[in-house]
Amino acid sequence: MTIRVAVTGMGCISGLGQGTAQTWARAAGGRSAIAPFGLPRNEDARTTGPAAPIGDVDDSGVTARFDRRAIGQLDPLSRYALIAATEAVGEAGLIDDPVLDRRTAIIIGCGSGGNTTFETAYRRLYERGQNRVHPQTIPAAMISAPASQIAMLFGVHGPAMTIASACASSAHAMGEAMHMIRAGRAEVAITGGAEACLTLGSWVAWASLGAMASDTCRPFSIDRQGLVLGEGAAILVLEAWEHAIARRAIIHGELIGYGASTDAAHITAPDQAGIEAAIRAAHADAALALDVPVLISSHGTGTRLNDATEARALKAIYGAALAESLVIATKSAHGHLIGGSGALEFLLGLKALQAGLAPPVCHHLGRDPECEVPLALAPTPIGYDHLVSNSFAFGGLNAVLIGRRA
Amino acid sequence: MPPSRDEIIAIISEEARIDEAKLTSDVTLASLDIASLDVVSVLFAIEDKYGVEIPVEAVNPAQTLGQFVDGILAKVSAV
Repeated sequence: MTIRVAVTGMGCISGLGQGTAQTWARAAGGRSAIAPFGLPRNEDARTTGPAAPIGDVDDSGVTARFDRRAIGQLDPLSRYALIAATEAVGEAGLIDDPVLDRRTAIIIGCGSGGNTTFETAYRRLYERGQNRVHPQTIPAAMISAPASQIAMLFGVHGPAMTIASACASSAHAMGEAMHMIRAGRAEVAITGGAEACLTLGSWVAWASLGAMASDTCRPFSIDRQGLVLGEGAAILVLEAWEHAIARRAIIHGELIGYGASTDAAHITAPDQAGIEAAIRAAHADAALALDVPVLISSHGTGTRLNDATEARALKAIYGAALAESLVIATKSAHGHLIGGSGALEFLLGLKALQAGLAPPVCHHLGRDPECEVPLALAPTPIGYDHLVSNSFAFGGLNAVLIGRRA
Repeated sequence: MPPSRDEIIAIISEEARIDEAKLTSDVTLASLDIASLDVVSVLFAIEDKYGVEIPVEAVNPAQTLGQFVDGILAKVSAV
């Protein structure tokens, strides 16, 4: 018999705010964190554009718990992951629980490592002609640092690792974590993802791709220009159903399906066949029929290509039944968290199922004939039991998660 | 404008993770139990903020905090 996988803890931080309650309240109310932004931070701006940056951060809940000398320097990537993990594990009621010691896995999705740390070091070398960089540059910036530091924070001695698949990283991480629990390799998984890519070097590289909007993020809208970068983390606690029941944990929902596919077609362009394969695989894994109305948390980046391709895939898969479903696109509120997006969008989708309310797509200007999908353009009451959460990465790495209301 | 002593003390407190109240001028670095890596972190933070270079060899554990800060201020003011 398949082991069911419960969601028993959730935590997040993004431009929308810190903590699940604040983040959900703002998303549900149609607030967007996207605003004019300049880089480098706290200096005279060399480049400007829209972004969804994180403002003030309260990491007192994290610093109270660990020996900073052991955990080392924290890149913002790790700081965001640790803040979200502390909320999630705390909310799950698992801090200091014996299950964390040997029967817990950590799988974190990150698209890139500690950009801030690397760029600080490079500025010394290339900009100022200095020859030394901080001795903690490598351990602070490595892409696996958040997984190590979460393990240290909570005393987790089971398997811990980072999965990197660009914009699908945290969706892949959650799906693989679900399978670890199903396989009996762990009772609990601390999973999700993080990204901290609002640095000058990262920004300029993204901009040079031509994928970034100069105004704002307008998923599935006419006159959409592209994506808007955000930053932050979302961490969820997944738990074997019976383990959660036995300790009377509060169950927010269930992760019932995961589909992963690879386009093997193009390093940046999306591929409809690959997208469809991932969505179909997720439905098959969840044993969820394609004609059941669902809340669809789209990848919805706001680029011309992604949204049109995703819309075509949704129509091809769901057909006439799509009219009874509703599509949300929360990147219009929190920006694109790259490696952190899949987890934050799943989290917000699960909150939407719980609340019976679809958060509105922000900044939508009007229907695009290429993107005819049923969009939540205002806060919309819903009664769906299921969430389909899409993540489609550059390089054609696709991951789709299916959640169910508890 | 050169930084104040308080600004330097704040950086030491942040990077070496020591309560500012303990950072009085007369204590020695050795008595503060500042790990060598933390000294490096302090120096890098000051270098990055004020554009100076301070070799770690210039720091002596027998120095008092006041002498340490004086040395930093002298470097920063000389820029």
